[in-house]
Amino acid sequence: MTNGHLTPKAGQPAQPPAIFDRTLLRQRQDRASKAFADHDFLHRHIAEDVIDRLETIIRTFHRAAFLGPGAHYITEALTPASDVSHVVSGAFSPAMARLGTDGAPRLTADEEALPFADSSLDLIVSMMALQSVNKLPEALARMRAALRPDGLLIAAFPGERSLHELRDSLYRAESEITGGVSPRLSPFTAIKDAGGLMQRAGLALPVADLIRLPVTYRNPMTLLADLRGMGETSVLTGRRKQTLRKDVLVRAMEIYAETWPADGGGVTATFEIVMLTGWAPHASQQKPLKPGSAKASLEDAVKSAEKD
Amino acid sequence: MSDHTAPDNSVDPKLLEILVCPVSRGPLRYDRNAAELISDKAKLAYPIRDGMPIMLEAEARRLDD
Repeated sequence: MTNGHLTPKAGQPAQPPAIFDRTLLRQRQDRASKAFADHDFLHRHIAEDVIDRLETIIRTFHRAAFLGPGAHYITEALTPASDVSHVVSGAFSPAMARLGTDGAPRLTADEEALPFADSSLDLIVSMMALQSVNKLPEALARMRAALRPDGLLIAAFPGERSLHELRDSLYRAESEITGGVSPRLSPFTAIKDAGGLMQRAGLALPVADLIRLPVTYRNPMTLLADLRGMGETSVLTGRRKQTLRKDVLVRAMEIYAETWPADGGGVTATFEIVMLTGWAPHASQQKPLKPGSAKASLEDAVKSAEKD
Repeated sequence: MSDHTAPDNSVDPKLLEILVCPVSRGPLRYDRNAAELISDKAKLAYPIRDGMPIMLEAEARRLDD
């Protein structure tokens, strides 16, 4: 502040407005289900990663729910070592939920209002879904409540640096041509916030890892086509009020091609996936002792250390 | 799955065990003939299409009694 005066902020609404248009999202994903197999590399990659994780955990998951677009790839890839018995596979889009021929029962469900009874599942995997949920803490809390004690949640969604090349190109083109910018891509969750979100939802032993996947596209337009094929183009509310001008898009594609050429032709796009894991609390899990519960006195310990 | 004789619109019993109404969090009644899952508390009937429960408020039928 140069003049030393604070300008009063506009009154904050009591309810935060919805950032994501979930109806539009469902339409996008219904449409994307038709040719999903041509645009599923990210989802297949996540499914493999999930299987690897399940195989290293020595325990039986009697009841599991795999949720999100491409969730059926997890069911299809299950191995005896992953030790999962009953699976329900679902998505927010009915057409997306039906994909796959693995024989697991199907479900259409909204991540913002999951229909699972409390303590009914041992394992929930959320695949590429939490990035467009309006109330992320509530959605995570719902999942936690659906888990039995010592149940596991794995959530995979795009991280902060995903598609940073595209975001930056659009931003630069728009400010160059119109002198202003409007959000064209959804904001993604930073990995540093992810662990905190898990803890806030009451999940124990939270771990957040990052999968970084650089992908080469023939040109930036093929990247956009791939995003559309995944059903992952922006569903920000208000984005329809300011449609992207053709000249801005053309300039953005130029900037993209100039700034992020790939070795051997084409352009680079970064996909970054946050892999969150957390456990529903259970007495057997490691946790700090309660203050005052120590059986040996600190004083004695210091004294004996001094003698040595 | 070896069970090819299952009727088209029946819901997996193991799935039914774990479902609740997403709006009221109350229990659901399975109406096999109408192919609906009924939440008496929320007065909503969720459709079952080809054996798949559609647990979305926007797709549910309102029960007005």
